[in-house]
Amino acid sequence: MGYITTLFVRFAYFLDASIRYHRAKEFCRTLLESQHSKLKFYFDIFMVLLVVFSVLFLLYEVKHPDGLPYLDAFVQFSLIVFVIEYLLRFWIYSDSHKLFLEAYDHATNNDIPFSLRRALFIIIKKKLDYIFSPLAIIDLLAILPSYRPLRFLRIFLLFRIFKLFRYARSMKTFTEIITEKKFELFTLAIFASFVIFTGSSAIYIFETHQNPKINTLFDAIYWAIVTMGTVGYGDIVPVTTEGMVVSMLLIIFGVAIIAFLTSIIVSSFQSKLIELKESRTFADVDKLENYIVICGYGRVGEVVAKMLHEDGYNLVIIDNDPSKIKLAQQRGLIGIVADASKSKILGALGVGKRAAQIICATNSDELNVFITLTARSLSKQIIIIARVIKNTHKKKYFLAGANYAFGADETIGLMGAQYIDQPISYAALEEMLTENTGVIFDIISIHEHSCFTNKTIEVLSLHEKRLLLFGILRKDESVPFHFNPSNDFVLKDHDMLIIMGRKHHINILRKLNDKRSVL
Amino acid sequence: MNDSKILLFGFTRSAIEIGTRLKAQGYTFTYIDNDPTLLPRAKKLGCNLLILDYSDDETLVTLGIGEDVKFVFTLFEEDVQNVFLTLSIRSLDPKVEIIATTHTKDAIHKLEIAGASTVLDPYQMCGKRIYKLITQPEVMQVLDETIFGTEDINMEQITITAHSTLNGIMLKECYPTQKYNMLLVGIHDKELKKEFIFITEGHDHKLDSGDILVVIGQSAEIERFKMDYQL
Repeated sequence: MGYITTLFVRFAYFLDASIRYHRAKEFCRTLLESQHSKLKFYFDIFMVLLVVFSVLFLLYEVKHPDGLPYLDAFVQFSLIVFVIEYLLRFWIYSDSHKLFLEAYDHATNNDIPFSLRRALFIIIKKKLDYIFSPLAIIDLLAILPSYRPLRFLRIFLLFRIFKLFRYARSMKTFTEIITEKKFELFTLAIFASFVIFTGSSAIYIFETHQNPKINTLFDAIYWAIVTMGTVGYGDIVPVTTEGMVVSMLLIIFGVAIIAFLTSIIVSSFQSKLIELKESRTFADVDKLENYIVICGYGRVGEVVAKMLHEDGYNLVIIDNDPSKIKLAQQRGLIGIVADASKSKILGALGVGKRAAQIICATNSDELNVFITLTARSLSKQIIIIARVIKNTHKKKYFLAGANYAFGADETIGLMGAQYIDQPISYAALEEMLTENTGVIFDIISIHEHSCFTNKTIEVLSLHEKRLLLFGILRKDESVPFHFNPSNDFVLKDHDMLIIMGRKHHINILRKLNDKRSVL
Repeated sequence: MNDSKILLFGFTRSAIEIGTRLKAQGYTFTYIDNDPTLLPRAKKLGCNLLILDYSDDETLVTLGIGEDVKFVFTLFEEDVQNVFLTLSIRSLDPKVEIIATTHTKDAIHKLEIAGASTVLDPYQMCGKRIYKLITQPEVMQVLDETIFGTEDINMEQITITAHSTLNGIMLKECYPTQKYNMLLVGIHDKELKKEFIFITEGHDHKLDSGDILVVIGQSAEIERFKMDYQL
């Protein structure tokens, strides 16, 4: 290994070990590229202002070539900033020392002789990639014309305006659309050039000696484009019949091409807008904590979502059907058109992190089981409630990890049979469960400092409070539920009283329970 | 055990589910559908399925509608069929109890107009149950295990008979049901024809024959209560 190679290797290792170097590079990366950094946000604003003002001064200079001293200073300053920015971007584009070390390691690990030339070639190639990237070219063109000997390139200073593409997101969207529709636009451009070429050649052939305004091929091309653009300034008009025919054809083709161009851009803008909107919805979800994900906004999902929404729960709804999501959004819910069976979607929605519960309410057992499984694989804690379509599949839901699973048919069976037997008690039960009449089931848990701890039930004097004690849930015992406990039943902390009554009556008891003092 | 005749129209999953439960409670009933392709499935499940054209009123009469049929379930997947059947049956017999299921929201109202006694909306029920599971998981768990489940705590209705000792006494006097280990949820007054009155509402009410008490408790306890009050 030659002396120079050793020097290079040593230097690369030195850079790799240097904390300062890494920190500096990291800082520049945050400043120039990190999408979420506040620093970049301020830097972008500063750069936009700099670009706008430097262009304004350039325009001012057109009529006032002598310039003003402080203006010149400003122009110099902005130039320096642009140059530094260009160099920094050039620097952070790739980690040359890493590339070098990779090549070196590869050579030593595989017992191949290390070629310095090859390593340098890789590094330079990577840097050249940057130099020839469109945005970098724009950056360079914004700087170069300031160099005195290249003054004739002053017009390129206007390229500074294109620099704004770097800093504004909406402009980025536009460039994205252009790149996305590259193929369509390219095809259209070929067709347009063909039409222009044919049209201008035809008019050139037909009119060169008849029409004093068409003398060169350039005139013909100019006329063709103006006519095709449906502008027709009228400065050049065909005088021969053949010329007029060409003109008519050109106008028809021109309209067609423009219509195509417009439709391509508009359609892709529309799809892009949906995407933009969606990314905003995802950002909305990011802000939520402890929310409920509802997969499927069918009739079951609708009922659940409505009731939970009224109670102030945070909901996120996923459905394949855009019209259903639209309906949900109209009702003020967060809805996302997505395939809920994709674990990526569920992951992006925070299932496994911030989502507390997930409801699988699509109308297919396969999908519901799949969602259950996906959600369970993402989180052990999440509570999964699934709607079973076919009762024979119920077992699969529990195998997949659902906490609760039940079907409509089952409920119907239960309610239907109950109705035949005892229509009145059915009505009572339904009223309590649906909370239509205001009499509800509720839970009061006795906490450690409650005044009811170690007291008998008699102390609660439930009858006077117009409450009915259904039972007490004591989770750590072998028989956790005590139905209709007698008056001398002693309450312990963490007991849960299941009470029937009106909401405000229950709330009175709840307030007493929250008080620390003895009654 | 029970002599009330029950017809289940539409051999659907809901029908099978209801049938299973009715069977367990000792009721006899008949499945009816107009699709003969369902026969093998019914045979496999051991269900007695009649294939009839239910749209014909005469057929309905031969089934006993207007005579001894007390309950009719309309359980078809299509709301159109359910509404039509409800209407046909109601026109034949104004008294029969028609329990209809529905699959769309606007059909609920149509079924009510057609004369259904009760409309069961499976989606609504399912949705409400999920809602309860999220807001009050413990309550649902307890209810699922007790009233809906296999544990021996049931909800029952008791009709007060003329010769019962409860007849004529005030509700307050019969309220302490502690000694029977059962809960009195409320009553349904025959005369007032009003909605169900919950015990917690605090009304004091004179019990008459024909009033219906709704209680929750172990079957044995409820039986004991019935015996003691000669119900």
